Amino acid sequence: MRRFLGYYRQFEELSPEEVSRDLRRRRDEEKAQSLTETPALDLSSPAWHEPPHAEIVNAATFALRRAVNAYPDAGAEALSAALAARHGVEPAQVVAGHGAGELLRAALQALLAGAGNELDPHPPTVAIAWPGWGPLPRLVHEAGGRPVPVPLGRDGAADVDALAAAAGAGGDGVRAVALCSPNDPTGGTIDAAALRRLAAALPAGAWILLDAALADFEEPGADLAALTGELDRLLVVRSFSKAHAMAGFRAGYAIGPEGSREFLARLAPALGASAPAQAGMTWAVANGERYLPRRRALAASEREHLAAALAGTDLAFPPGTGPLLWLSSAGLGGRELAAELAAKRIFVAPGTAWGDDRHVRVALRGPGATDRLAAALKELAAG
Amino acid sequence: MPRNDPTDTGGLFIGRRPGTAPLRYKADPERAGERRRRTDALLAAAVLALEALVCLTLWGPQPIAWLWIGSQVDYHGGSITLALAVTFFGMLGTLMITLGIATRLDRVWRILRRAAGHEQQEGVLPRIFAVTAIVALVLFSIWFVIIEGPAPMLAPR
Repeated sequence: MRRFLGYYRQFEELSPEEVSRDLRRRRDEEKAQSLTETPALDLSSPAWHEPPHAEIVNAATFALRRAVNAYPDAGAEALSAALAARHGVEPAQVVAGHGAGELLRAALQALLAGAGNELDPHPPTVAIAWPGWGPLPRLVHEAGGRPVPVPLGRDGAADVDALAAAAGAGGDGVRAVALCSPNDPTGGTIDAAALRRLAAALPAGAWILLDAALADFEEPGADLAALTGELDRLLVVRSFSKAHAMAGFRAGYAIGPEGSREFLARLAPALGASAPAQAGMTWAVANGERYLPRRRALAASEREHLAAALAGTDLAFPPGTGPLLWLSSAGLGGRELAAELAAKRIFVAPGTAWGDDRHVRVALRGPGATDRLAAALKELAAG
Repeated sequence: MPRNDPTDTGGLFIGRRPGTAPLRYKADPERAGERRRRTDALLAAAVLALEALVCLTLWGPQPIAWLWIGSQVDYHGGSITLALAVTFFGMLGTLMITLGIATRLDRVWRILRRAAGHEQQEGVLPRIFAVTAIVALVLFSIWFVIIEGPAPMLAPR
């Protein structure tokens, strides 16, 4: 009988009091654990550490709720018009896509079209300011080209003269030079004069692929996209993943010169960017100045904060713009530095990902994270 | 504490809507075979019928019984006040006892339904209570208006 009743008792639900008691016990355990455990601090991802502005999520959610069953506007006309107005170019010069990375991939595929024969002893080349955006050499290989790394200048920015020299040495085989400004991972920037100098020195037919994914951390006056009206082989690629904190949307755009409509059409996704991404980007373009100044200021102040904290140690990084910095130690290699920081539950990207064993890339967050990083680095430097 | 107001979360709901919490048991129940579950389903149906019968007694047999007891108290005790008090409090007492029995039957029904393989969250007592009240009201109206007819003082003699 007891067994018979026991079978049915197992189907009795817990009372709300019992459920609450269990949840309270679990919460107390987690709180007790959090007091004894050091939380992980992930400074390895270049994505902005905060969520996007709530209105961006609102706009994307509204777009989804309105017509998730319908195809998005393939031409992204409203978005292109807003982007064109922002950069002072024609809407036909703008193409929206699935993030800066995908646009760069498409641009390389278009520029290196016809290449890709592995037996070809002289594949077309792309000179890349290096270290730069990590996946770029792989994308060049995938498109059938050969990446030619060109070291950065001492200021951590692309060395346009060295790039021009590398492109000149490559002759007709050079299809493009690719550079990042502000540079990922160093934060170095180039100005309009340097870009004009580079354009003037390039062989005929070679393009400049300017990865400006971090450009929203620069003051609006430093925008290089306007040069597309002047330089006929300049493609500027921008992202919403960094300062707009929209990495999950996969949203970006490219601006090309006037008269490059055919080339830009090859960069566009076949059926356009997704409806929520278009809606989020459109809101961000129109209203970005509500929050971008605060993020610019935060990135700049945290760079200064860390530089001041590391003064007098053997740790240093080049000055630059944006939340990414390229940190090196006189006493430790990049791999050791990353491992020592990981032991303190601070995670940074070792420079080996860029083929460099002297540096690590750090993505800055807020003052609390910088304080913790600075304390850990000073402890390492001391001994 | 996560905020779940859509105006704070960019139009998204965070967390679960009220009343949609899953059933929680002390441990995952070990379920018996198909035959046992069919038997439990039949037992659940029988308990449901019994629960309905118990609730139906509230709307006919119990009031009639207490009216009869009240009339006996009045006849033997000669006090209409006492008869009314016995009827009122007696009715109230058996109402409480009946609801207690029905609640227990409802719990047994829920357990049998879960044993039969259903994710039975709520009992069915409020619905049975309402349905039996409506059934009793309809039956009473038929009896009062159609079978018994208008009151003698209105009807022609």
